[in-house]
Amino acid sequence: MNGLLSTTRYNQPNPDMRARTSSGLRLGWLTSFLLATVFLPSSLFASSLGVAARQLAHKIAAASGPGAFALDVTNRSSLDDKSVREVRSALEAELYVEGVHVTKAEQAIGTVDVVLSESLRDYVWTAEIALGSDEKKVALVSLPRSPTGTPFAAALPIVLKTTLLFTQEQPMLDVALVDMPGGSRLILLGESAVSIYRQPGANPSGNSIGRWELDTSFPIAHSRIYPRDLRGRLMLRRDHLFDVYLPGTFCRSSSNAAAPLTLACNETDDPWPLTPEDNSVRAFYAAARNFFTGALSPGIGKISNVPSFYSVAALPRSNYTLWAFAAVDGTMHLVDGMTDQAIRGTKWGSDLASVRSTCGSGTQLLVSESGDSERDGLRAFEIPDRDPVAASAALEFDGRGVIVALWTESGGTGATAIVRRKDTGWYEAYRVSISCGN
Amino acid sequence: MRRIAYRFLAAISVLVAYSGAACAAPRPHYGGTLRVMLQSAPDTLGIPADATPADYWDMARTLSLIGDTLVTLDAQGRPQPSLAVAWQSDPSDRHWQFTLRRGVKFHDGSAASPAAIAQILGTLHSSWTVRASADSVTIESETAMPSLLAELALPRNLLLKRNADANNNNESRPPIGTGPFLVADWQPGKRLKLAASEESWAGRPFVDAIEIEFGKSLRDQAIALELDKTDVIEAAPQAANASQRHGTSSSSSLSLPVELLALVFSANSKARDPRLREALALAIDRKPIQSVLLKGAGEPAASILPNWMTGYTAVFSVQANPQRARSLLADSRQPVLNLSYDASDPQAQLIAERIALNAREVGIAVQVSVSGAEDIRLMRVVLPSPDPATSVSEAARQLRLPLPAFPAATLGKSSNLDLDLDDLYRAERGLLDDYAVIPLFHLPIASAVSARVRDRETGRPVDWNESGLSRADVWLADSRSTDLRSTDSRSSDARPQAARR
Repeated sequence: MNGLLSTTRYNQPNPDMRARTSSGLRLGWLTSFLLATVFLPSSLFASSLGVAARQLAHKIAAASGPGAFALDVTNRSSLDDKSVREVRSALEAELYVEGVHVTKAEQAIGTVDVVLSESLRDYVWTAEIALGSDEKKVALVSLPRSPTGTPFAAALPIVLKTTLLFTQEQPMLDVALVDMPGGSRLILLGESAVSIYRQPGANPSGNSIGRWELDTSFPIAHSRIYPRDLRGRLMLRRDHLFDVYLPGTFCRSSSNAAAPLTLACNETDDPWPLTPEDNSVRAFYAAARNFFTGALSPGIGKISNVPSFYSVAALPRSNYTLWAFAAVDGTMHLVDGMTDQAIRGTKWGSDLASVRSTCGSGTQLLVSESGDSERDGLRAFEIPDRDPVAASAALEFDGRGVIVALWTESGGTGATAIVRRKDTGWYEAYRVSISCGN
Repeated sequence: MRRIAYRFLAAISVLVAYSGAACAAPRPHYGGTLRVMLQSAPDTLGIPADATPADYWDMARTLSLIGDTLVTLDAQGRPQPSLAVAWQSDPSDRHWQFTLRRGVKFHDGSAASPAAIAQILGTLHSSWTVRASADSVTIESETAMPSLLAELALPRNLLLKRNADANNNNESRPPIGTGPFLVADWQPGKRLKLAASEESWAGRPFVDAIEIEFGKSLRDQAIALELDKTDVIEAAPQAANASQRHGTSSSSSLSLPVELLALVFSANSKARDPRLREALALAIDRKPIQSVLLKGAGEPAASILPNWMTGYTAVFSVQANPQRARSLLADSRQPVLNLSYDASDPQAQLIAERIALNAREVGIAVQVSVSGAEDIRLMRVVLPSPDPATSVSEAARQLRLPLPAFPAATLGKSSNLDLDLDDLYRAERGLLDDYAVIPLFHLPIASAVSARVRDRETGRPVDWNESGLSRADVWLADSRSTDLRSTDSRSSDARPQAARR
């Protein structure tokens, strides 16, 4: 059968095609076209799906010439049923414009079999146009697959809420939102640069995906080799805009006054602050690994050394601060300045953050965990005594996301989660906050 | 997602806290030795020109631990920096310039300088003129090289130094590269031990070492994995597919289809009539072969490239049509055709016999044999690159077909343009039009790993064949004690004295 297929050939549009259509048919198809045009969601026509449907219709018409054809559309791609229906409607409408009328098989002079398929990179739509018994022609169009995703929010009394801040293909280590003269800014720490995006006039907490415009970018030079599991931290500051902590590297921005922003970086093994306060406890980061060594400076009360750890969260109490460490050996350590209590068997992930709220004790511990073999989730915990108590349902990130970074925001009222989608490989930055719900 | 009714929250929350999820995602740990078993038993660490698909993949994956290419391709076929951080070409695609990553060293301590890289590339490709400058290398050719980036990403272009031994034989010595692991011990045909390179420009690998045992049959590998004597083994796709369905303690995984199983007519084949070849193509019922012999693994194919590369395989029909096959052969006397296969492939004989049965049903006499003059050969073809134009060219080379000609705008560029897709389709269609090759199946490669092998990105049992996954990015879940011993000395030294215990 393969031999029956011929290479696609392109005809010039036939100027007589409408004249050969009966007036009744013309009216019917015109009605269909108008209905399709009016009632199709504008997003389709505005989107690349609509453009691709138009391109495919043009190619089909060039191969078939005008006339009545039976159209069959088969979906073998990840497009949902609604999109497929919209594509079919758009295709019928565009074919009508090209002089190809969709009709029943018994009334058709040929068939058009459209398959909506996809490769790893693109949606690929194929059309086999059959005229008579043997002759088959092929038309192809493609359009890039775009990552989509919507955050999921659980619906229990203490609720973790997410706001998608930014998405990009390149890895993100941390992001921060800041209000500045001239509009909001999103500061993004990548593997080799700090990029600042502008969003004129928008509320920083609003869902802003797709509307950030790159304002400026500062490359971060380093001569040391970064570890494979690269981690980095952005911290907003009171006396200047932000600091950046990377393994073996520290960067400080200039002040946020009128002068143009600059970023100065130097290589150093100085410890990283664990909270945004100026007098914060600091911890040494292993520059060629992916964890903190456990050495603290200054220490927490009498404790100046804890086991090597991946992450830490500070939970303020009435007259002290309880620190939760996610140790490299899988245990969790609760340190209050006098004692270091190890809790084993939590089987939590490696990332912790604390979020201030108006619920419960006023500060909850956010913990990364996994709901199944494909997706990571977050759950809020309280530590009323020395046993963690789950305080929220698990929050999963839609689209098979894996949490690759979780940091407490500089303001303390939220956390930043960087999620890598398993389906697209893109990175998404979320702001995670807590509301008390019912 | 686990949902918990609020009224039970207090009662079970402690339990939730402690049990959590069965497989929470930890960050990677450092340390440990990854144990690997492979079928092939190479005498040298290089990719032979006539490598079988199994040997090709084994050696490609092994050498990619030791060396780097100038560029790599991601799963979508887009070039990514590796030893080269930037590149540009002139409009004719005959002159390319690659800016090299600075400060990279070979495992013997010598600099991966432009001169050193140019020398290796020049040795690999005598038709290229390769020159070194201050921080870059240039590659020139008399013919346009629009697909050069995809070519450079192939394992055969790994940048490896080979120092000659006393007999001036540079193949017997282990290669020296810039990759994440260096050769610590090499016993040809038996064992290779690789040690983590602390100076790897992409960061030190998580595991301390990889030990590869060669020459192990699939059965021996499966037993070793069951007895926890190895961490990574190869598997037949059909076996991996079955274990994925039924669930086993180890983790089996299938790659995207990266091999083509096809019938190839030899130059001296008695099947000179294209109608006879077409009739044979129409006679083959691929579905039963896939479901019974391949146990669901693989995809029936009538095209050279799999759908994940092109998206258009729907226009290459895989449906059998014995009625039309018979009509093509009507009133003609057909010769008996000798169908040969690779005797080392356990599935090949069964598939060949099934094809012979299909052929007989439409009146074509096919005799299955591994001896005698072959008219048709059942063979596997490697599709080595995610770049479709490069893979179709490589497949044509292995199938001894004329290399497809692409307009310069197609090769190595984005396939998002309709023109590119049409050109690719035309090139592939052109290779298949006279039925000198009958594609049968696109096959994945399969592996199984022990539960302690984890993926850096997810922290979960690794999907070994996932596109882009490198063995340098895996880590071992039970390596924590090693990990704690191997903390970074530079950082430890930086601790304040008072902070030491």
